[in-house]
Amino acid sequence: MTTRQSSTLVVSNGFTCCAHCLAEISPAGKPWKRSTSVSITKIVQIPGSTSSTHPDVELRHFACPNCSALLDSETALPDDPFLDDVLNP
Amino acid sequence: MDPITFSIIRHRLYRVVEEAVITLKHVSGSAITNEGHDLMVSLYEADGTLLLGGVGFLHHLTSAAEACKSIIRRFEGDVHEGDLFLLNDPFTAALHTSDIYLVSPIHFNGELIAWSACFVHVYDIGAMNPGGFAPEAQDVFSEGFSSPGLKLIDRGNLRQDIWDTLLNMVRGPEMVALDLRSMIACNNVAKDRMIALIEKYGLPTFQETCKLLVEQSEARLRERLRELPDGSWQSRQYFDVKGEVYKVLLTMTKVDDELTFDFTGSSPQSKYSVNCTKWASLGGLFAPLFPLLCYDITWNEGVIRPIKVIAPEGSIVNCTKPSPVSVATVGAIQSVNNAACTTIGKMLASHEQYNDQTSAVWHANHFAVFMFGKNQKGGEAIGILTETFAGAGGARTFADGVDIGGEIPNPISRMANVETVEAMFPVRYLFRRRLMDSGGGGQYRGGTGGEIALVPHDAPDGGLHYVLSGKGSKFPQSEGLSGGNPGALNDYVWVHTDESTKSNDCFAQTLDSIPGDKESISWGVFPLMGKDALYVRWNGGGGIGDALDRDPQSVLTDVIENLISPAAAREIYGVEISDGVIDDFKTSERRSSLKHKRVSSNGEKR
Repeated sequence: MTTRQSSTLVVSNGFTCCAHCLAEISPAGKPWKRSTSVSITKIVQIPGSTSSTHPDVELRHFACPNCSALLDSETALPDDPFLDDVLNP
Repeated sequence: MDPITFSIIRHRLYRVVEEAVITLKHVSGSAITNEGHDLMVSLYEADGTLLLGGVGFLHHLTSAAEACKSIIRRFEGDVHEGDLFLLNDPFTAALHTSDIYLVSPIHFNGELIAWSACFVHVYDIGAMNPGGFAPEAQDVFSEGFSSPGLKLIDRGNLRQDIWDTLLNMVRGPEMVALDLRSMIACNNVAKDRMIALIEKYGLPTFQETCKLLVEQSEARLRERLRELPDGSWQSRQYFDVKGEVYKVLLTMTKVDDELTFDFTGSSPQSKYSVNCTKWASLGGLFAPLFPLLCYDITWNEGVIRPIKVIAPEGSIVNCTKPSPVSVATVGAIQSVNNAACTTIGKMLASHEQYNDQTSAVWHANHFAVFMFGKNQKGGEAIGILTETFAGAGGARTFADGVDIGGEIPNPISRMANVETVEAMFPVRYLFRRRLMDSGGGGQYRGGTGGEIALVPHDAPDGGLHYVLSGKGSKFPQSEGLSGGNPGALNDYVWVHTDESTKSNDCFAQTLDSIPGDKESISWGVFPLMGKDALYVRWNGGGGIGDALDRDPQSVLTDVIENLISPAAAREIYGVEISDGVIDDFKTSERRSSLKHKRVSSNGEKR
């Protein structure tokens, strides 16, 4: 049975899966971002930033390692951990 | 109870609030009230239970409820027909001192049966900086007059000594008097209409309706929460003041029919006035909760009951007295609001039925710019740049965010016409328009913010000054969802021009073309004198979804309308445009390349 976890993720057979290709990302109910492909871009490099932009703040993109579909994003300072979003199994 | 009578009374209660709001706006003379709609009116049961909150700044619904309850406790045995109370102490209930609550008991045949409350951001409160926002304040004692509750009207008679004392402590006392009178009129109208309602339907029917209305709201929110999956969702907000970085961290947990908002991990309280009290945090998280989760539920105490809040004492979301808090409403409160908007959005996105009601963060970063000085008519003027209320819509799961679309916590806010501002202050706008590359990228783009530039014009003193409480020029705050990018950042630039400079482009249309030295500023009091200029740009809304999935034709349209740059089209959206035409082949190649880069440049796992 497949149920929705977010716009980009589903839960299937006890795993959090990519909604696009159904590849298993991590066990359901557990933080899943560490099992994704993470790409990091400094906000200051993104069109629309200014000279006042903090030099360290970054945009993290989390993608499916199987099909490269984008699963989530977050803004962070480098030392801060990933934000965790989990559904109770 | 007869459901038709119930519905009629419920509808009449909405009209009571609506008419009271109209009264308030008609009597008030402040742009912040009339244009920005920085106001709120709400009704309460005899024991202070929030019965019905109306439109306006939703941060205030829970705080005004606490104000009402505090007045009931403080004046127990001394509440009479025709009384009116004032409260503006942030450590009792208010958000900051300049948002004054006026609370009126409503009696019927001599019995206390309800309360009405309203607020406006008054013209001035006597803080060390004009207008109420006091970036230079060291503590709440330097943020103006503050009362945990006083009786302003006793059995229908204005207490002149109190009135005179209040007006003796503020700048522009005639304007503050007008603000107070507008609120008194507002409460009088609410009281009269409530009494007329009770006369028509009878007190027992009215009271039964009130009880049912609160019970219905609680039952319907709990039912909605039970539909959604159990889980926890996180959001994080950063902002800065003078180089110090603050963080609001929120973990929202949903179990069965209850929601817990836990701010553990947020920064300690600040020495600057961006802190908020626990009442302010409560208001901050309810502001998005009411419209996002309760759009079809009456906003009252029933909605509050399933919600729990954990806000560590001594943190930036629950500061201790005498921490300064005058900038709270555009400071930590707004970050609480943004974080709650994101976690609620994530929760809604986890359910098939509610996914299309998800929204990325709207206007995440107010900028309080209060101008003050002598105007072109020789009078003293204080007032906010109401562009701060213009905001930007967050993207939705089916459409772009609305450009200059306002904000979630205040659905009726708007900005004044340029001409209105120029008539009130000795300034001239060089330009005001939507800001390129401000909406967060995504399959659905965040709405754009805007940009303005002002110069002095026809100023008796050669210009004026302004108080800038512009935290947040270093971090994006309009978070995206489901892979969307955040909206762009605010920025504030003081353009210094030497008086001897001959060059003065009266019609500069970009920041770069305004002559003079450009200095980024964000916090304090600054001049707009001589040939100075002030440039302000404000954030767009967050995007939703993968920008590489955005329809290339929509990207081209945005480029043509100057809403995104050709560089953003290529780098964020992977769309190659040549001579105003999309190159389909190169676009396909570019998008494939960017997707491949995602999985090949694997970042550090945290």
